[in-house]
Amino acid sequence: MRFPKLGRVTLYILLIFFIFAFLLPLWTCITTSFKTLKGVIDTTPVEPPLGPLFRLPYPTMEPLITAFNIMKRSLLNSFTFTVAAMILSCLLGSINGYILTKITFKGSNTVFLFFTIGIFIPYQAVLVPLVLTMSKLGLYNHLGGLILTHTAYGIPITTLLFRNFYGLIPNSLIMAAKTDGAGTWTIYRRIVLPLSLPPFVVAAVFQFTSIWNDFLFGVVLTRGQNQPASVVLANLKGTTTVMWNLLMGGTLWYALPVLVIYLVLGKYLMRGYMAGAVKG
Amino acid sequence: MRFPSRKVFMKDWMVTSLFLLLSLVLVGYFVYVCIGWNVIVSLSDWKGLTPSYNIAGFDQYLSLFHDQVFLTSLKNNLILILLFVPGSLFLGLFLAILLDLKVRGEGAFRSIYLLPFALSFVITATLWAWMYNLDVGVINTLLEKIGLGFLRPMWVADPNIAMYCVVLALIWQFSGYTMLIFLGGIRSIPESQIRAAEVDGASGFDLYRYVVIPQLKAPALSAFIVLMVFALKAFDFIYILTGGGPGWSTYVLALMMFKETFRKNQFAYGGAIATILFLLALVIVVPYLYLSFRREKE
Amino acid sequence: MVSVTIKNLTKKYGETVAVKDLNLEIKDQEFFILLGPSGCGKTTTLLCIAGLLKPDEGEVWLGNELVSSSGRDMHVTPQKREVAMMFQDYAIYPHMTVFKNIAFPLEVRGKDKREIVERVTTTAKLLGISQLLDRKPKQLSGGQRQRVALGRAIVRKPRVFLLDEPLANLDAKLRVKTRTELKELQRKLGVTTVYVTHDQVEAMTMADRIIVQRDGVTEQIGTPDELYNRPANLFVAGFIGSPEMNFTDCTLIKDGKKLWLDAKEFKIPVPAEIVPKLESYVGEDVIMGIRPEDLYEREFVKEGTQKNAFRMTVDIIEHVGPYLLLYLRKGRLSLVARVKHTKAGVGQEASIEMDLSKIHLFDKKTTKAIL
Ligand SMILES: Nc1ncnc2c1ncn2[C@@H]1O[C@H](COP(=O)(O)OP(=O)(O)O)[C@@H](O)[C@H]1O
Ligand SMILES: [Mg+2]
Repeated sequence: MRFPKLGRVTLYILLIFFIFAFLLPLWTCITTSFKTLKGVIDTTPVEPPLGPLFRLPYPTMEPLITAFNIMKRSLLNSFTFTVAAMILSCLLGSINGYILTKITFKGSNTVFLFFTIGIFIPYQAVLVPLVLTMSKLGLYNHLGGLILTHTAYGIPITTLLFRNFYGLIPNSLIMAAKTDGAGTWTIYRRIVLPLSLPPFVVAAVFQFTSIWNDFLFGVVLTRGQNQPASVVLANLKGTTTVMWNLLMGGTLWYALPVLVIYLVLGKYLMRGYMAGAVKG
Repeated sequence: MRFPSRKVFMKDWMVTSLFLLLSLVLVGYFVYVCIGWNVIVSLSDWKGLTPSYNIAGFDQYLSLFHDQVFLTSLKNNLILILLFVPGSLFLGLFLAILLDLKVRGEGAFRSIYLLPFALSFVITATLWAWMYNLDVGVINTLLEKIGLGFLRPMWVADPNIAMYCVVLALIWQFSGYTMLIFLGGIRSIPESQIRAAEVDGASGFDLYRYVVIPQLKAPALSAFIVLMVFALKAFDFIYILTGGGPGWSTYVLALMMFKETFRKNQFAYGGAIATILFLLALVIVVPYLYLSFRREKE
Repeated sequence: MVSVTIKNLTKKYGETVAVKDLNLEIKDQEFFILLGPSGCGKTTTLLCIAGLLKPDEGEVWLGNELVSSSGRDMHVTPQKREVAMMFQDYAIYPHMTVFKNIAFPLEVRGKDKREIVERVTTTAKLLGISQLLDRKPKQLSGGQRQRVALGRAIVRKPRVFLLDEPLANLDAKLRVKTRTELKELQRKLGVTTVYVTHDQVEAMTMADRIIVQRDGVTEQIGTPDELYNRPANLFVAGFIGSPEMNFTDCTLIKDGKKLWLDAKEFKIPVPAEIVPKLESYVGEDVIMGIRPEDLYEREFVKEGTQKNAFRMTVDIIEHVGPYLLLYLRKGRLSLVARVKHTKAGVGQEASIEMDLSKIHLFDKKTTKAIL
């Protein structure tokens, strides 16, 4: 489409302006995390950590290293429960999606509605009972508790994603497998699952980022050693008022896995967003 | 002659449905039972660390409406609904239209605009705390560089503008998402229709105004619902950026609930806020789900 | 190999009645065809036999085994019916090679490796697709996919074949070739076959017996010969045969002892042997049908047929193989005649005769055949 009134030059100037606007916070985060404290004060945040005439010793790995030491335990925690809950919620969502699209039974629409509502609820409405339940189960302040929580609250969205995809698999394929003698479970394992790579990537990428990004469940279900990276970073922000380089270093570490995934698998994440999956 | 029973048919389906059952139990418990339980808590007199389920009726709800903090929170949620929601929709639509103009490297622009949305609120809130920092923060040092140092707004430290700073940052984070949704909508309009409109003499803004935008109702609606729900349940970002302050100028319902419950141990009181939050979300989501289910049936 | 019996089968989708009160007895080893325009419930019938749909009413028997019964509320799953179904879109598993596709029913049944390899190889040889076994479905042509689907159906020696429009997606030439091959294959394997098509030529050339369905209702069941020569009603008469049977409204009038069919443009005497059956229709409107090949040009009439000629204008002449199709007109009446020769040219008049022993008469109200 052409836009005669608006020159192409203006268009690109606008687009590039927005690039700056969208990347400015992230860029200053990177520059600052490589600066000494003196550098933070002497230079503006947008400047790279080089200092006037490249002479002052502003560039340093110090903040990143210190931040990593503060965060490494929590990063490992985050990684553990994120991967576990991602796998579990994707598997369950896939089976639900299969049942809801390929096995007709009375009330399948009701079941779907039952799951769908779970996508939209504000988690505040379940927090207290959730904490009490986890204490009862002995999973309070335990990675298992976070795995269970994120799996349970992930099921609605993964179910939606898989259901949308499985709606596109022709029913004749399933019927053929039935007359060929395959039972419900065999059909899932031998026909549906091998065709599910794309939705699994979409669901997994979405689940990984949203579980990794979570703060609320982490802050109410864990303390000390078992806290996820999000909570540790928030605490770091709460306790330092001047150590911006350290804080930005921590931010960078915590953002890194999602940034990598975004770079490599961003298009699948977009497909998830477009299919109606949105963070809580 | 053999008469295989109905059981044979059922058994096979039972094996698979065990998994469905597991999901139903998990979601049933963690969503529905927990919501119900929370409602019970909200009707009790539970204060302090030991649970108490003595029925106190709607006392908590009544006192909420005399609580200045609660009213401020409600007002701030309303600000989110009135500014953040349309702001994100319009900026997203604007970006989508820009990118629709046969832009070179469209994919790269799109990825960059969407990037903030993929990041954790913990990250974006920390970044915006840095942006808004008074002495060494990004915006103020930039202002100084261009000779506007005398302005030196207090940003999130100024109770009068803190909430608007929050709105600005959230628009920054969400407009990439609305852009993506709108762009998808624009791309699903058949090329032939655009051609036909061009032949009819529509071009530039007219083409968008009369042909493209009216067809974006469905994506606009789904983005609207997502933003509305977020405007209600916004928590992490504000909690980390301002902690609700200065004073309680940036309190929102979800944040107040969190502080009442987990910082002050006012469990019943927090439960009442959570219940109100849940009901508000239902008001938005239920009509939407009803509509989309009916559309799917057709 | 078993017979298939369907009793009072009814299947609804919500409000739509897809199949209504269907009764069928398909004999062991028979090649039985369900014929009808699309949407008439053919696929639904097959799915009920396969067990993929549960009938709302009625029973399905395979041999003397009851497999579906609404009365007893019982339903044997498709997995246990030992019938093979081939779907219109072939339903080939896209992620498996041809070999894996054909082997799938055997693997599911837990047959051992050696037997699987042997049976798949034999089947592939039988169908002439041995060289394709390592390919993925994406790399196959339409005809080859059809073979693979067929292979998957026959490899496990089912009791019944259910084929849903297996030739519909092939091009015309391949379709004709495959028709004969399929028929031959069925005879060789001796498996009871229920075959669905909307193409009456296909049905007439392949079937032992045919059921004609319309809107879920049975119109007629019979051999191709019966359907062609003794259609039970106007629908079957019109649906079967190409070019279509000619129809014209007539009144039966009595003139002394003789009965006449009066079509305004012409009047023909009713052959004496059928007069008794028509007595009750005297004075009534009926519909007369005559197939194009039962009309002749006078000069070429064979000996012995009852003569009664009338003159019609030739509008169009079409050459179809060894025949000529004459599109004839007289007043509001138009007829198509299939002849070997004609003396008349376009726009000229020809003297047309009909073979009176071949006329069909239908009750105008019920559309049922009178004769
Ligand atoms: N899954 C379904 N849901 C609702 N209606 C259906 C479904 N399948 C078929 N029908 C309807 O039932 C009737 C018979 O369909 P079908 O058995 O597929 O016909 P055929 O195979 O003869 O073309 C049609 O009117 C069709 O629209
Ligand atoms: Mg069909």
